[in-house]
Amino acid sequence: MTKTDQIARFAGPNADYYARTFDRLQEGVGWGFSFNPAAALFGPLWAGMRGLSFLFLFLCFLDLMALTQITSGIWGNTDGAVLTRVAQLETTIATRRTEATEAVAAGNSAAAATATKLADNLQKAVDGARAEAAQTAKGAGTRAFGGVMAFLIVRLASGFCANGLYERRFSAWRGNQRLPHGAPALRLMITAGLITAIYGITLYAVVAAAPPGWLTTFPADKALFAAVEGWLDAGFVATYDAGRGAFDGIRNAIRLLVEGFEMVLVGTPWPVVMLVICTLGWQIAGPRVAIFTAAALAYLGLFGFWELSMLTVALLGAAAILCILFGIPLGIWFARSKRANAAAQPVLDFMQTMPAFVYLIPVIAFFCTGKPPGIIATLIFGMPPVIRLTTLGLNGVSDEVKEAARAYGATEWQVLRGVELPLAKASILAGINQTILMCLSMVVIASLIGAQGLGSVVLQSLQYAAKGQGLLAGLAILLCAMVIDRIVQGSFHRRN
Amino acid sequence: MADPATEMSGVWKIFGTAEKAAFADAKAGASKADILQRHKCVVGIADASISVQHGEIFCIMGLSGSGKSTLLRHMNRLIEPTAGDIRVLGQDVRALSPKALRELRAERIGMVFQHMALLPHRSVEDNVSYPLELRCAPKALRWRVAAEKLALVGLQGYADRLPKELSGGMQQRVGLARGLAADPAILLMDEPFSALDPLIRRQLQDQFLALSQRLGNTTLFITHDLDEAIRVGSRIAIMKDGRIVQTGTPEDIVTKPADDYVRAFVQNISKLGLITARTIMDPLASVQATRAFDATSAPRATPGANLETLIGLVAGQDLPVVIDDGASVVGAVTKDRLLLAIREER
Repeated sequence: MTKTDQIARFAGPNADYYARTFDRLQEGVGWGFSFNPAAALFGPLWAGMRGLSFLFLFLCFLDLMALTQITSGIWGNTDGAVLTRVAQLETTIATRRTEATEAVAAGNSAAAATATKLADNLQKAVDGARAEAAQTAKGAGTRAFGGVMAFLIVRLASGFCANGLYERRFSAWRGNQRLPHGAPALRLMITAGLITAIYGITLYAVVAAAPPGWLTTFPADKALFAAVEGWLDAGFVATYDAGRGAFDGIRNAIRLLVEGFEMVLVGTPWPVVMLVICTLGWQIAGPRVAIFTAAALAYLGLFGFWELSMLTVALLGAAAILCILFGIPLGIWFARSKRANAAAQPVLDFMQTMPAFVYLIPVIAFFCTGKPPGIIATLIFGMPPVIRLTTLGLNGVSDEVKEAARAYGATEWQVLRGVELPLAKASILAGINQTILMCLSMVVIASLIGAQGLGSVVLQSLQYAAKGQGLLAGLAILLCAMVIDRIVQGSFHRRN
Repeated sequence: MADPATEMSGVWKIFGTAEKAAFADAKAGASKADILQRHKCVVGIADASISVQHGEIFCIMGLSGSGKSTLLRHMNRLIEPTAGDIRVLGQDVRALSPKALRELRAERIGMVFQHMALLPHRSVEDNVSYPLELRCAPKALRWRVAAEKLALVGLQGYADRLPKELSGGMQQRVGLARGLAADPAILLMDEPFSALDPLIRRQLQDQFLALSQRLGNTTLFITHDLDEAIRVGSRIAIMKDGRIVQTGTPEDIVTKPADDYVRAFVQNISKLGLITARTIMDPLASVQATRAFDATSAPRATPGANLETLIGLVAGQDLPVVIDDGASVVGAVTKDRLLLAIREER
């Protein structure tokens, strides 16, 4: 098929014109100069008919901006609101004047004076509004003119862009013939219908003196909202009642874990804890990280954040350990089962994109307030990275190496332990690192539901606008995060 | 002949969800394209049968996508066949329980891969002894075996290196050592030298041949390079679209290609090393009839001598070569006949 035939099939009506234009454009580099009169004349109608849907929407938008200026300039009821106010004020003035006359008749001169004064003030307001309306009316001509100019510029621009864009669509269509092409009557009708509806409704809303309420605000159904809300509330209560034993069991198990960490970190004298952490940093990540760790810990101690930091780290440690404990097996499962992975992806997306404050709600509904629900909220937020990176790492292990292990008689468990996990280690460690840092950021939010630690200091500072205190506590959180990050990352870099 | 080391007969493999229905159609004679269209299934192996003798190096040659690697993976059931019989050392592979299959893979069959497939986080030594580790062999034994196999492939002193510190050729020798670690009776080699550059490839081929002669294991050797197949193989099976087109010795393949496909392959192969005196010699009497000569002073060769040997004998003197099978004279090759034979095979 020659290129001309191809263009004829692509363009449909007016194929000769497009064959000539495309030839000329393809001879040049970049955007050739060309003008498409049909596109200039019909704007969005042309774009829609030719199947360039984004251009169609963009041109509709620009057209409407220009057209609203024109219509509101010529027929608009921009002073409608002003005139309504004036009419209201005038009624009030009339009432006051009547009151004044009645007061004079009754001989109450003081009341009469007040009423007259009010009426005079209102009269001034009315005059101001009138002047304003007149000003607007005078500006209407300018706006209409501006609108016309904008409209013409948009149309000219679309005329100049049209052929270039259409040629690009042609090039794309050659590789993927399912892209819209030609100009079928159905598409023309849909486009025309859309334009009539969009333009009609928008311009009516501008011109009409009092557009109907359903057009300006979405008709909300308060009763429906109340019904669903009540149903959800009842659902929470029923679920909690039904699973009270399980929920309380989970809460107690988590509390036990956190309290264990707290006992070690807070209960042990600070010099011991500090020494242990610094030595750990040195052994795992080298002397530089150890020095940084010592400095960071000194900051925490010096500013009186020691105990709170240890509470935070205990909370974080419990959350991170649970994340890893559940996350890695889940990641392994998702790497092995395509179906489980497909089912899990939307859930993981949901866990990560849902704003943290929103899922605090079901968490407190089922686990009350305090540290355990704080940790559960942290789990929801912090688990996805370790799951995802475990799956990613395992999927990245070369099939040939796995096959080799099987060819030498390895069981599935031996393949996992001896081949897949070691080769995916870098990715899994990156996931653990991410998870720990996400847990740390979540620990602050968890203080909203009563999980104590550095987060609660920040929260307090927010409530009382204590800027200095807030900054110092924030820095303490940052240092905690950096120490943990450096040590975990160091463990990875050193081995490589 | 004695019991073959491994044997496959009537093996089919169809990839896809409608395996059974597609197989029924394929067996009834539907073409590969038909099956793909009708069942969305790919015919990987179609009715393949091979039989490999003990100590033989059996080459399976074919272009990419011809199903040669798939066929190889049926030997240790890394791929489950759709139909057919597979016997390895007398055992019916398809009837084995998972545990017995793992034992067979660990103790009887070694495998070498195209991209080495070494474990990058383990030392060379631990890679070589990995098959033993899977069978929970004690560390001392593992290290002993690793040292022994590394010496076999000429890599003494590299035991503690990581694979990435070694060159490609050395890595593949580690792969070979690993394949030999369990002293397997059968060695499966999946394009082992394809990823290497030509010089190293040649060197490894020679090394492998010498080693193979010494150890005497049965080898199934996959390659897409006919030159390599001829150099290495004692017999060659040529595959196309999942079918075995021809099986035979290198000389059979080169001198009697079964169809145009094989002929096209063979065209550019130098046949001087493959054609033997037996195929071109004339009876001594007819040679004597054209031109009488003294057969006792003429150069002698066996019937198995190839053209290259004959050229060497003929050059520098005028007499024909007398072919002698050790017991008696069976024929003679004149210079003219030799020249014609060389031209013919071009």
